[in-house]
Amino acid sequence: MPDLLDLCGAAVGTAEGDEAVEAYAEESRRTVVKAHKGDVEGLTLAESRGVGVRLIVGGRVGFAYAADPSPDEVRTAVARARENAAVATEDGFNRLPEVAVAEPMPELFREEQAAMPADQKVSLALDLERVATTTDPRVTKVDEAQIGDAVSRTAVASTTGLIAEYGRTDCWAVAVTLAEQGEETQTGFSYRIGRELGELEWRDVAEEAVSRAVDMLGATKPPTAKVPVVLDPFAGSSFLGVLAGALSAEAVQKGRSLFAALVGEQVGSDVFNLIDDGRFLMGPAAAPFDDEGVPTIRTELFKDGVLQGFLHNTYTARRDGTATSTGNARRGGYTTVPGVGTTNFYVAPGEHSFEGLLAKAEGGVLVRDVSGVHSGANPISGQFSVGATGLRISGGTPGEPLREMTIASTVPEMLKAVEGVGNDLRFFTSVGVPSILIGEMTVAGV
Amino acid sequence: MLDRELVEEVLAAALARGGDFSEVFVEERTSTSVRLDDGKIEELTSGMDRGAGVRVGRGTAYGYAFSNRLDREALLEAAAAAAASVREGEPGTVVDLRALEPSVVHRAKRPTSNVPAADKVAWVREVDDAARSLSPEVRQVVAVYGDSLQRVLIAASDGRWVEEERPRIRLVAQVVAARDDIIQTGFHGPAGLAGAEFLDAHRPRQIAEISANRAVTMLGSIPAPAGEMTVVLAPGMGGVLFHEACGHPLEADIVDKEASVYRGRFGEQVASPLVNGIDDATIPNAWGSFSFDDEGTPAERTELFRHGVLQGWMYDRLRATKDGAPSTGNGRRQSYQHPPIPRMTNSYILNGTSKAGEVVASTERGVYVKALGGGEVNPATGDFVFGISEGYLVEGGEITTPVRGANLIGRAIEVMQAVDAVADDFDTWEGVCGKEGQGVPVGSGSPTLRITRITVGGTGA
Repeated sequence: MPDLLDLCGAAVGTAEGDEAVEAYAEESRRTVVKAHKGDVEGLTLAESRGVGVRLIVGGRVGFAYAADPSPDEVRTAVARARENAAVATEDGFNRLPEVAVAEPMPELFREEQAAMPADQKVSLALDLERVATTTDPRVTKVDEAQIGDAVSRTAVASTTGLIAEYGRTDCWAVAVTLAEQGEETQTGFSYRIGRELGELEWRDVAEEAVSRAVDMLGATKPPTAKVPVVLDPFAGSSFLGVLAGALSAEAVQKGRSLFAALVGEQVGSDVFNLIDDGRFLMGPAAAPFDDEGVPTIRTELFKDGVLQGFLHNTYTARRDGTATSTGNARRGGYTTVPGVGTTNFYVAPGEHSFEGLLAKAEGGVLVRDVSGVHSGANPISGQFSVGATGLRISGGTPGEPLREMTIASTVPEMLKAVEGVGNDLRFFTSVGVPSILIGEMTVAGV
Repeated sequence: MLDRELVEEVLAAALARGGDFSEVFVEERTSTSVRLDDGKIEELTSGMDRGAGVRVGRGTAYGYAFSNRLDREALLEAAAAAAASVREGEPGTVVDLRALEPSVVHRAKRPTSNVPAADKVAWVREVDDAARSLSPEVRQVVAVYGDSLQRVLIAASDGRWVEEERPRIRLVAQVVAARDDIIQTGFHGPAGLAGAEFLDAHRPRQIAEISANRAVTMLGSIPAPAGEMTVVLAPGMGGVLFHEACGHPLEADIVDKEASVYRGRFGEQVASPLVNGIDDATIPNAWGSFSFDDEGTPAERTELFRHGVLQGWMYDRLRATKDGAPSTGNGRRQSYQHPPIPRMTNSYILNGTSKAGEVVASTERGVYVKALGGGEVNPATGDFVFGISEGYLVEGGEITTPVRGANLIGRAIEVMQAVDAVADDFDTWEGVCGKEGQGVPVGSGSPTLRITRITVGGTGA
């Protein structure tokens, strides 16, 4: 099997005349084990690799990709990209990035994880399911108990002289439990992500999935009211995707961001700080360089509630004129051209404990789960209306379970209404968020 | 794509440590996409994917391994990896492979591979021009054209051998309109299992206008009311709700895990007697159709609700075998990189006898939902939520002011029992449904229908 950089080299070596050619190659080996009723429900072993070729000539971009190509097939992909470029629109901002050397991040690759035999992952999945179904008598079944890992390498090379490569390991545990009481069923979800399974707190995943289901038993629909709301990290993480879309320079340049004209303005409350940091090792999305080979950096997006700027890739930075790439070129794998995306995108932790936030929200709602954000939130206008479940805050603690609520507001209103930020930062895939106190929101029920 | 001897060898190797069956799924997919954004043809992408997955099934458990390579060595390696999940047992046998003939074939009359790239570019340009010329308030247009040809070969140790070509095409228009500080968006993206002839019936101009009208109309919207009220769903939208709220909990893997709100309710009245629901992969050239599912089971029409009485589940092979039932041909996968699971194809609520105009006219107060933005369901509880992307107030039997920022929230059984009118103006809506990290093309459809009481989440009074 040819080396990734050799495949990239085959593409770059095919450039003709003034063409700029970039090849992005990745390979991964993933294992996913699902356990159910004390047995392995499914074991999936996946090996995949592929190369995406971006060709720019006269400001026109063409793209083509191929799964597990031979060097000859890579050259065919270059030819396809060339044909595609011929019918694209000319845009002088289309250029490949200048070469910059990224500081390596060897911590991202763990030999232990790469060498872990499948049997060990199988027994972890069985353990995860066993703990999830034996911790509370009301939870005897899981909808899902999954252990997974991925060992991957990424390489980028281009006619500008760029040659970069790095390896990483990722692992995760997921549990969805079913709590039953009489005719009623409630579900509880938990999830953790890390670099190696040996360090992952999988037991916490099982226990949290159990308590999150059991706590919801007996849930009722609350009356519609404007009340203080505490978003726990699970619920908060759902909203970060909406913010991420609006903070991309691509969205700004195309008139699709509600933040477009607000740099330097007090958009959020002064306790709200939002950061994107590709070099933050605690975050799952850490990487030495982005998907076009530009070194990652730390970018402050909101500081004390004031909007600082946007996330850029090479194209948006050039088009902006005064910006430089923030190392936020992201692709959906080798099959797509780079757009603008987040790395580790997180709300900086504040000074409050979780209990301290609850104490400030007496009579309000602790929202633990929101649904429908991808359909119920409009990233352009910032309006949203989403389904929610949670617990009534009473006497400073979460009590009576609530379901079938909807919460509705706009992103700017919600950011202004942030009254307190917890110290309990937690990452979910690439977004991280602590518990957040929102002064007042409409919670619709009966 | 592969010769029979090699496939037989791989199937036998996968059963080396026992198992109920083994299966090989081979796929080659070529694709083209053209994206116009901000008035520019930003990208044209050509893709070539191929690979094979080998599965060993034992009870409802499976081992699955795949490779990008189609040579003997790689396939036998995948077979060994899949077999490793089976811990004990005598080697299984492979029945002589025999080709199955499809009873329904979805052909492209004008294959997209014969259409020059310049024509595809012209279609997205037409979307851009048409949307912008509709109103000066249209500020931004994204038009995406995509086609693909998926060739599959599915063979299994029970002797099935199936080959199929699935041509797909889609044209999407996303429009942003602005008036003062207000920004609204519109979306329309019809799709089919067909060739370029699909765009004769769904003209790029027409797609653009539907999307642009939606965005511009919503500029005049007021915040949606909140609380329980009567909701009338436009043609197609009841199908979207049916897909999420009823379809997912009727998928046999969810039922098998006792994570379905419908478990143990077979034969019961779980919806209004006006609701007749089906899942049908045989509809000619429909987006969610096929000749065979991704396990080689022939496409079929499966009855889900008859006059509101629950008729059955949507099965894949593993769950059907466990229940001693035939597979309903709902075993689907995103690609060779994924094991098949029970999925919907085209899920429809069938026409009733009411007239749409009368349904609205007899609604004193409520919300009319012209378009939904998509939704989610928790299959165990039946709780669902949908964003309303185009909605209006209904006042005194008339559709009046547009409303924004609303969603629908409810529970599957209660909401389906609250259907009190089903009209006769069936229409469809196409999308990509996600489950367990796999996206597959699905169609949904329904006529106009009315729900007497459902919670609308909004910010208004």
